[in-house]
Amino acid sequence: MSEQPAEAIDFFYSFRSPYSYLAAPRAFMLPMRYRISLRFRGVVPMVMRGQSVPREKGLHTLRDTAREAQRLGMPFGPMHDPVGEGAMRCLAVAVHARERGSERDFVLGAGAAIWGRAVDVAADRGLRAVCEGAGLEWDACRAAISDPAVLEEVERDTTALGELGQWGVPVFNFRGQLFWGQDRIEDLEVELAGAGLRRPKGSARFAGDAGER
Amino acid sequence: MVPSAVIALSRVTAPARLAAAAQRRAGRSAEVELYFAFDDPCSAVAVIDLAARVAGRPVDLLMKPVLRRGIPGDPAVELKRSYAVLDAGRLARRIGLQLARTEPLAAESTAFLAEWVAESGPRSRELRAFCVRAMHHLWFEAGEPSPEVLRAMWLEELGSTPASGGHQIRMNEARMARRGPYATPAAWLAGRWYFAQDRPDSIMRYLDELGWTERQ
Repeated sequence: MSEQPAEAIDFFYSFRSPYSYLAAPRAFMLPMRYRISLRFRGVVPMVMRGQSVPREKGLHTLRDTAREAQRLGMPFGPMHDPVGEGAMRCLAVAVHARERGSERDFVLGAGAAIWGRAVDVAADRGLRAVCEGAGLEWDACRAAISDPAVLEEVERDTTALGELGQWGVPVFNFRGQLFWGQDRIEDLEVELAGAGLRRPKGSARFAGDAGER
Repeated sequence: MVPSAVIALSRVTAPARLAAAAQRRAGRSAEVELYFAFDDPCSAVAVIDLAARVAGRPVDLLMKPVLRRGIPGDPAVELKRSYAVLDAGRLARRIGLQLARTEPLAAESTAFLAEWVAESGPRSRELRAFCVRAMHHLWFEAGEPSPEVLRAMWLEELGSTPASGGHQIRMNEARMARRGPYATPAAWLAGRWYFAQDRPDSIMRYLDELGWTERQ
């Protein structure tokens, strides 16, 4: 019988955030390296929550993400900004994928499509390919996109981030300790190791499932 | 500008490498402009860490204190100030230091330090040493921002009386805005800027790429 981790980490993520994209592969690896489960919580993009992003901040994010992607060996560009409908559709599908236990495959696939291949996820053609690539049925994904209960779930996750006193993503919440930024995963790992949650070597939770996409 | 162009341009380094080579031939050093604030715990980590990292390289770390920074009208500014203390504590742990404060410092309590440093000019080794000591005092020894204590420290490092005035701070703030950074700590080097607390390794890699390596 597989062990069910007692502890969970909330992973707040936005499909419009390139830093979330950079964080996701390492975030989804955490349950393989530590005795924790990862709760994916998709949030509405910052600009759609009424927070301003000045031009210089946007430019710096692009430049910095490009350098970080290169360092991490991840593709970055060409890209298609999913702000608006694209982000909301992905968030709805992510809720559906979470119910199916497929959120890892969907989130990693959508991130790679948006930030590395300029796939327009606001269009059915683009999103359908991502969904099916994650093993999801398109009809069920389409139903989730227009399901008010799913959108309420997205709102709950977005509100939860604000209630933690956080504004940006990615954010990790472990035992009430918040870690903001793809470059703070190493600090989170220090906490996880300090809490005695590191898995013994050779005991990855999902054998054969530890590779990067 | 379209994102792909921004990314492509951000990866171009040939002009900066050529300029760096010309500077070396002329016997000059690299210049890293460090924009920071004494009331910012992440700046404390960056000042101490970067000063140590560039020691031994032909690099002038130019100390550019500012007071005004941040995104105008940012609704999260107070949250960010509080979070910065927590975040700086973790960053300090990475370099073997332990933050001694759990609350932010009031900006006005350290404004005099920014004036002293800005008015003295950014370049000297002694000034850099003072900034490092002052940051240790404020953030890692929980020392009060006492003008008397810090003036004595200034005298020890620079051997003169500090000058006051806000003109150079405003110059620093204007220059920082022209360079691009909107928050501290930020390091500008040969056309690129980095959040200095987040990317010290990247800054060192860029110095290496430009040929500003450790002196043999």
